[in-house]
Amino acid sequence: MSLYDSVMAGLALVGNFEAFLSLAIGIVIGVVGGAIPGISATMAVALALPFTFPMEAINGILLLLGVYKGGIFGGSIPAILIKTPGTPASSATILDGHPMAEQGEAGRALGMALWASCTADFVSNLALIFFAGFLASFALSFGPPEFFALILFSLTIIAGVSGESLLRGALSALLGLLLATIGLDLVYGTNRFTFGDPNLMGGLNFIAVLIGLFAIPEVINMVWHPTGHMGKVQKLGSKWVTFADYKRSFRSIIRGSFIGVFLGSIPGIGSAPAAFLSYSEARRKSPNKANFGKGEIEGVAASEAGNNGVAGATLIPLLALGVPGDVITAIIIGAFMVHGLQPGPMMFVLNVDIIYGLFIGLILSSGILFIVGGLAIRGFRPVADIPKRILMPIVLVLCIYGVFAVNNNIFDVGVMFVMGWVGFAMMRLHIPPAPFLIAFILGPLLEDNFRQAMLMSGGSPEILLRGPITWFFWTLTVIAIVAITRGTMRAGRAGG
Amino acid sequence: MNHRALQMRLGIGAILAAVFLMIYAIPNWVSSPSNVRNIVLSPLFWPYILGALTGLMGLGLVLSGWRAAAGEPVNEATGDPRAGALRLVAFAVLTAVTFRVMPQLGMVWTSMLAFLALAFLVRTRHPAAAVICAVVVPLILYAFFAHVASVAIPQGELVRLP
Repeated sequence: MSLYDSVMAGLALVGNFEAFLSLAIGIVIGVVGGAIPGISATMAVALALPFTFPMEAINGILLLLGVYKGGIFGGSIPAILIKTPGTPASSATILDGHPMAEQGEAGRALGMALWASCTADFVSNLALIFFAGFLASFALSFGPPEFFALILFSLTIIAGVSGESLLRGALSALLGLLLATIGLDLVYGTNRFTFGDPNLMGGLNFIAVLIGLFAIPEVINMVWHPTGHMGKVQKLGSKWVTFADYKRSFRSIIRGSFIGVFLGSIPGIGSAPAAFLSYSEARRKSPNKANFGKGEIEGVAASEAGNNGVAGATLIPLLALGVPGDVITAIIIGAFMVHGLQPGPMMFVLNVDIIYGLFIGLILSSGILFIVGGLAIRGFRPVADIPKRILMPIVLVLCIYGVFAVNNNIFDVGVMFVMGWVGFAMMRLHIPPAPFLIAFILGPLLEDNFRQAMLMSGGSPEILLRGPITWFFWTLTVIAIVAITRGTMRAGRAGG
Repeated sequence: MNHRALQMRLGIGAILAAVFLMIYAIPNWVSSPSNVRNIVLSPLFWPYILGALTGLMGLGLVLSGWRAAAGEPVNEATGDPRAGALRLVAFAVLTAVTFRVMPQLGMVWTSMLAFLALAFLVRTRHPAAAVICAVVVPLILYAFFAHVASVAIPQGELVRLP
C-alpha cells in the first residue's frame, strides 16, 4: 500500500464525527483527571479504559490517547495553582509556576503551560509519524532472539529509572515478572501457580492488575489518612500570556520538545525526567538564569515542553516494537488487546489504516488540547472543589464496574482488590508500581521469545547473540547497566 | 521506619520470599512434564531464575540498608495511626464483603452499599451528596455497561433492574 493509500485509509477511519468526539472527550477527561490531585493521568487512563470496550477500536484508542495527552497538561493546573502536581510529570512545573501564581500571574503561567504543551505535543506527534514507520520496517526482520534482547534492554531501563531506589525498582519489576508466570505454561500447557483454579489458568487479568495497582491504592490511602487535604487555590490574576512571552521562550520550548521526544522514545524513562532535564537545560542556557525558581515564565515553558514532548514519542516503541514507552502506554496496550490488535511491526502491515488513523487523530489532538486546555484553566476551581471523600468512593465503584466488564468475571474484581492492597503496601514501602506493571506486561513476551529462541537453537544460548541487531541491544543493555550502577553508586556516595 | 530499616526489612522479606519460592512454591505449584530434555525449556526454569534474582535483590537491599545512614522517617506521620489502622481493617472487610455478596445481591446494590460504607468510613462532610452519588453513580454505570456496552452486569437474586 502506498503512503497516499495509507493516509486515505486512515482518513476514512477517523474522518468522522465519532472519532473527533472520542478524541475531544478523551482530552476533556484527561485534563479534568490530571487536574485533580490524587487522580493523575495514569489513573484517568486506567479508569477510562473499560468505557472504550463497546467503541470502535480506533475511537477507543483515540479516546485513551486524548486522556493521556489531556492528563499530562492537566497536571500542570494544580501544580501552578495549588503547588500539588496533578501528575508526577508536572513536578518540574511547580518550580516556577507556583511562584508566578503567588505573584498574581497564575493565568500567565497556565497560558504558557498550555502553549508550550501544545507546541511540544505537536513536535512529538511529528516525531512519532516520522520515526515509528521507519523503526517498524526495521523491526520486521526481528526474530525471537532479537525481541528477547530488545525486551531485556527495555526491562533494564525500566528498573534503572524507577524512582529513588534502583534496588526497590528492580524488586518491583521482579514481582511483576513473577506474577506474570501465573497461568498455563506457554510451551507445554502445564499449570504454574494456578492452584487448580480455572480462573487462574489464563493468568491474571491485566486490567484488573493495573487498576488494582494504580487506582485502588489511592482509595486505601484516603481511608488511611482521610484528612490529607489540598492546598489553597491561587487566583488566576489579570495578566495573560502574550506572544512576546511565547517568542522569548520558544527556544526552550523546542529544546524541551526534542528532549521529551528523545527520552520518550526510550522505553521506561517517562515524562518526569524529561521535564526536569528540559528545565535544567533551559536554566543553564537562559539569560534570565537567576530568575529561575522565583517565577520565570521560561521555566514553566521548558518543563511543560519536556513532559508533553514525551507523550507522542512514547508511542514510537509501542507502535513500532510493541514495547510500552511508559506506564500509560502500557495501559493503552490493554485497549489494543481488547480490540484484538497487537501493537508491533506487524501492525504496520496488517492494520495500516488504524496506524495512519491514529497519526491523523494525534495531529488533531494538539489543536483540541489547545481549546480544551484554555477552557480548563478558567474552569479549574469547581474541579478543585470536588470533595475527595466523595471522589474516592466514585473511583471505587468505577473500578468495580470497569474491571468486571473486561471478562464478565467477578473473580477479576477480587484480583483487583488484592492488587489494590499490594499497591498500597508498595506505596507505603516506597516500591514504585510502574516497573511492576511494565514487567508484568513484558514478562510473558520475554519468556516466550527466550523459549522460542531456545527451541530454534535446540537449547544453545549462542542464538541470543546471532547478529548485529542482538549485539546492538545487548550492548545497549550493558551500557544501561553500567550507567545505572555508576549513577546509583555516585548518588549513594553523595548521600553519605 | 527510616530509610535504613526500610531497605533492611525489604531485603529480608525478599530473601525469605526467594527461599519460599525455590524450596516450596515452585516445586509444589509449578508442574513440568517429565520428558523435558533441556532445562531451559522447562516450565520450571523461568520461575527458578526469577526466584534466584529475587534472592539476589534481597541481598542487595540488605547490604545497601546496612551501609546506609538511618535518615529521616520514610512516611509522614498521620494524626492517629491506631484509628487509621482500624479504618484499614474496616476497608479490608468492606472489600471482602463486596466480593462475596456481589453474586447474591447484584453489582448495582452492592456498589451502592460499598459507596456509602466507604464515604462514611472516611467521614465525609457531605453526607447528603454521598447518599445521592451512592444511588446515582452505580445506576448510571449500570445503564452504560448493561445497555450500551452489552455487559451482563450481575443482577443478583433480590431486586432486578430492567
